[in-house]
Amino acid sequence: MATNRSGAAQRPNGAPQTKVCQFKLVLLGESAVGKSSLVLRFVKGQFHEYQESTIGAAFLTQTVCLDDTTVKFEIWDTAGQERYHSLAPMYYRGAQAAIVVYDITNQDTFGRAKNWVKELQRQASPSIVIALAGNKSDLAAKRMVEFEEAQAYADENGLLFMETSAKTAMNVNDIFLAIANKLPKSEGGGSAGAGGARRLGDAEQARSSSCCK
Amino acid sequence: MYQDNEDDCKFAACTYFAKNHPGEMCGSNGLPLTPSSITILGRAQRLLTIEHPNLCTYLDVIRGKHERIIVVAEVIGKSLKECTSKFSFQEIVNIAKQVAISMKFLHDQDIIHRTLSDDNILIDNEGRVKLFNYGLYYMTGGGSEVSFPLGLPRYLSPETILNGGGPAADVWSYGIILLELSIGKLWNNLKPGPILRRILTLVHANNPAERIAREHDCFEQYKQVPENLRNIIEKCLKIYPSERATFSELVEDLTQMDSKELVEVKTPRGLMGCKLQYLYHLWQLAGGDIQAELKKNYLIKNSPPILSMPIAILLDGCTIGGKTGALFDRRLAKYSLDLLKSRLSHVPPQDFYPLMHERRKEYDAVALPKIIRERDTEYQFYRLLWFHRLLHGYPYTAPYIRAEAEIDIPPLVRGDVWAALLGVVGDIEDQYERIDKETPTPTDRQIDVDIPRCHQYCWLLCGSAGHKTLKRLLKAWLLTNPQYVYWQGLDSLTAPFLYLNFCNEARAFACLSAFVPKFLHKFFLKDNSAVIKEYLAKFWQMTAFHEPELATHLHEINFVPELFAIPWFLTMFSHVFPLHKIVHLWDALLVEGPALPLFMGVGILRQLRDTLLSSGFNECILLFSDLPEIDIGECVKESIEMCRSSPRSVSYRRFTNEAEVKDPMDIVEIPMEVLFNEISPRINLSDFFSLICQDKCCVIDIRSNLLYEKSCIDGSINVPYSGVHLGQHELRALGLHPQRVIQEAIKQKKMVVVASAEDETAQLFSDYLVKCCVPRVCILHGGISALLTHVPSLFTVPPKRNGHK
Repeated sequence: MATNRSGAAQRPNGAPQTKVCQFKLVLLGESAVGKSSLVLRFVKGQFHEYQESTIGAAFLTQTVCLDDTTVKFEIWDTAGQERYHSLAPMYYRGAQAAIVVYDITNQDTFGRAKNWVKELQRQASPSIVIALAGNKSDLAAKRMVEFEEAQAYADENGLLFMETSAKTAMNVNDIFLAIANKLPKSEGGGSAGAGGARRLGDAEQARSSSCCK
Repeated sequence: MYQDNEDDCKFAACTYFAKNHPGEMCGSNGLPLTPSSITILGRAQRLLTIEHPNLCTYLDVIRGKHERIIVVAEVIGKSLKECTSKFSFQEIVNIAKQVAISMKFLHDQDIIHRTLSDDNILIDNEGRVKLFNYGLYYMTGGGSEVSFPLGLPRYLSPETILNGGGPAADVWSYGIILLELSIGKLWNNLKPGPILRRILTLVHANNPAERIAREHDCFEQYKQVPENLRNIIEKCLKIYPSERATFSELVEDLTQMDSKELVEVKTPRGLMGCKLQYLYHLWQLAGGDIQAELKKNYLIKNSPPILSMPIAILLDGCTIGGKTGALFDRRLAKYSLDLLKSRLSHVPPQDFYPLMHERRKEYDAVALPKIIRERDTEYQFYRLLWFHRLLHGYPYTAPYIRAEAEIDIPPLVRGDVWAALLGVVGDIEDQYERIDKETPTPTDRQIDVDIPRCHQYCWLLCGSAGHKTLKRLLKAWLLTNPQYVYWQGLDSLTAPFLYLNFCNEARAFACLSAFVPKFLHKFFLKDNSAVIKEYLAKFWQMTAFHEPELATHLHEINFVPELFAIPWFLTMFSHVFPLHKIVHLWDALLVEGPALPLFMGVGILRQLRDTLLSSGFNECILLFSDLPEIDIGECVKESIEMCRSSPRSVSYRRFTNEAEVKDPMDIVEIPMEVLFNEISPRINLSDFFSLICQDKCCVIDIRSNLLYEKSCIDGSINVPYSGVHLGQHELRALGLHPQRVIQEAIKQKKMVVVASAEDETAQLFSDYLVKCCVPRVCILHGGISALLTHVPSLFTVPPKRNGHK
């Protein structure tokens, strides 16, 4: 994931060399499927075997650079337990992208993922890009959800789909990159704040130089 | 290695290695296998609680490097092996009786010894016997967590050699020991292999004891052993385990035989009379170091890493070659208490026996931070003795315990003190025993996935013993609280209680059961949204009350507590901080009561104040996703100060376990929708009245000056709301006099009470004051009219002042 920090940070006055787009992304899925681990792997390159459970939600950001655009993800990592469901709309409202995660070693989590997809299709913004991630692919020996089954489901519903492993880092950056590629990066498209990609102002951009590595 | 002065050595350590899991293997849940040393540590905790006059008390089990386990336990006198002189038969019966009593006790607790031998039976000059390290078989899960065989060959029963054996195997070992004491060491010069073979050949013997005696050419000698003792030996040395006597039978037989009556041991006065656990703890604080001493005695050898590198590593992670230390060391390292004795030598004898009604001792150390006090030998010595005494008198001493806990709680007795603070009394074991903790429920899956992620850095909680106990506690709590459901976070909330009461599950449960209604009433309802919303709204009001500038900034960037503070309050911070911080936080919480957490939240914000003030929304939320280091001591101190300086009604919540207030002077309750829109909290009439009486508040009357001049609260100032420019966030805009009065009030830390005729204007004006960074702003509940009805005596007619309307 090569990034181009200087291109974004030191641009000559006036015309930018790269566009900077900011997107809100939300992770949904049953608890203990590895949502927080995926984010941690993507944002910090770390993996904790005993990642603690998320209560409420956690927020992290990460920037990826595509050919001509820098995409900044504002990632909302939500609590998985069904009881926290009522909080979820607060996080997916206005999100441009969502990753719905399930655990390939647990069929129930796949069912739950399908429910999340349904809910997003009904409630979230109509242009939302949804990716389905079958996590824990390092535990393929204990697989309970077949790749083909999930792929077929994803195709049917127009979702991006990958099997990932936060532990081995397999496909983690790729799935975020795939989302970044699919997001509309139209100049000034969408409204600032709640929806659509928005260009960052100079002041804001100077401060957001934290994540590219 | 042994010191001659027996009195000096109160405890000793021995060490061995736990089994290494080959390579990096994962369990069925994808998580790494729990290291054997951690499993041992978890199992050994139970041994630490066992106390019996004939058993050496276990003091500590430490996990060293490379899966090393160090066991620290009490010692007395010397072992039978070291006793060179022969015992008289009367002495043998005396030893036999005491060993049988202790073994009966262990078997009653379902603990099998398996390693009973002449070197772990200790005897002192008076003939008192104690078993040392009797829990090796138990803590290693029947030897499955270590890769060396347990027990000395010559004491193994035939069925143990054939890979079986239950409690009766201990009876066989016991029989061999008695036989040895009577006729001398057996199979003295043989290697383990031949010894085991000899034992197995006994299988065909009618009377193994006689057969052994013949083998050693001691048959005549054996026949001289008194018949009753010989009977005992032969009852033990039966080939079939089921035919052997049990220890309860043996104890019965032995009590009928005469043996020397033991002199009643008097507990020594002074330091040596303290509880052994306390001595060990204080010895450590005084600089005692178990590991360093083991190294000195060569029980831990450090060799250069190059020597311990394996020659080859197989693909599955198994290593070949490389020098490793002995897996198990039979030697003991004894420790001298001289260090501690000299450290406390100046303590006058009467200080060892503090009197409850004596004036409390003043210590210099009280000014130091708690973490330093916890490491101070002398301070802890005094505190421990004092708490020991108070806890002894619980529940009658509950008020004293509370008063002392306010200062600090010695870590060694924290579990006891917490239980006392929470008012845990009665037969908690029996109550806990009755609860069904096993029947599967639909919540189990959630609990199962949460437990392996809950405070797993803690060695106690990450082992299988910890996991199982935590699950039982959660299930028991859910079953006894059918009105509640499992919310993620309940696991974290339970963890501190388990951590402090690891071997006292019932008390952990009783503490949790008492804690929730007090601090988290209704938080675990299936629909808890109103409860949480109210809590967060109150938290936000308290932030505005004590940190107006910060609150204003956070309001402006729309950084609401829903985004970050739910785990704080739902788990009383136990999900946000590590255990060593939580215990200090909760020490304060349990003493101060349920209003404190709100202010702890403000205390955390205050510590991050500068960063938050200079940050936008994203930076703020990022800060909370990965909370930076918080100084808990400071946070506790500040939050207590805030809590005590705030009138009670200011932090009023409706969802508490307290009795409903009826008196109109005490009411502050408002509809929830109103609460969510109010920046500043309300104060009730009685709190207001007491503030006025103590001259601790500045009253701003925002009615029109016409109304004000007719009748007003004595000492109040008038700032007519209609004349205020809400857009201008400067006190100056209110006019010179009000500005001076408010600034003076801020300086003197007075409350600023807004009194009005309508709620809306009061709220808008208080919002304005908060934006002007005025702290401690609150609204008089019910306004002027309510006050006039209930406390008309506070009203007066203002004097006309020149130059001011």
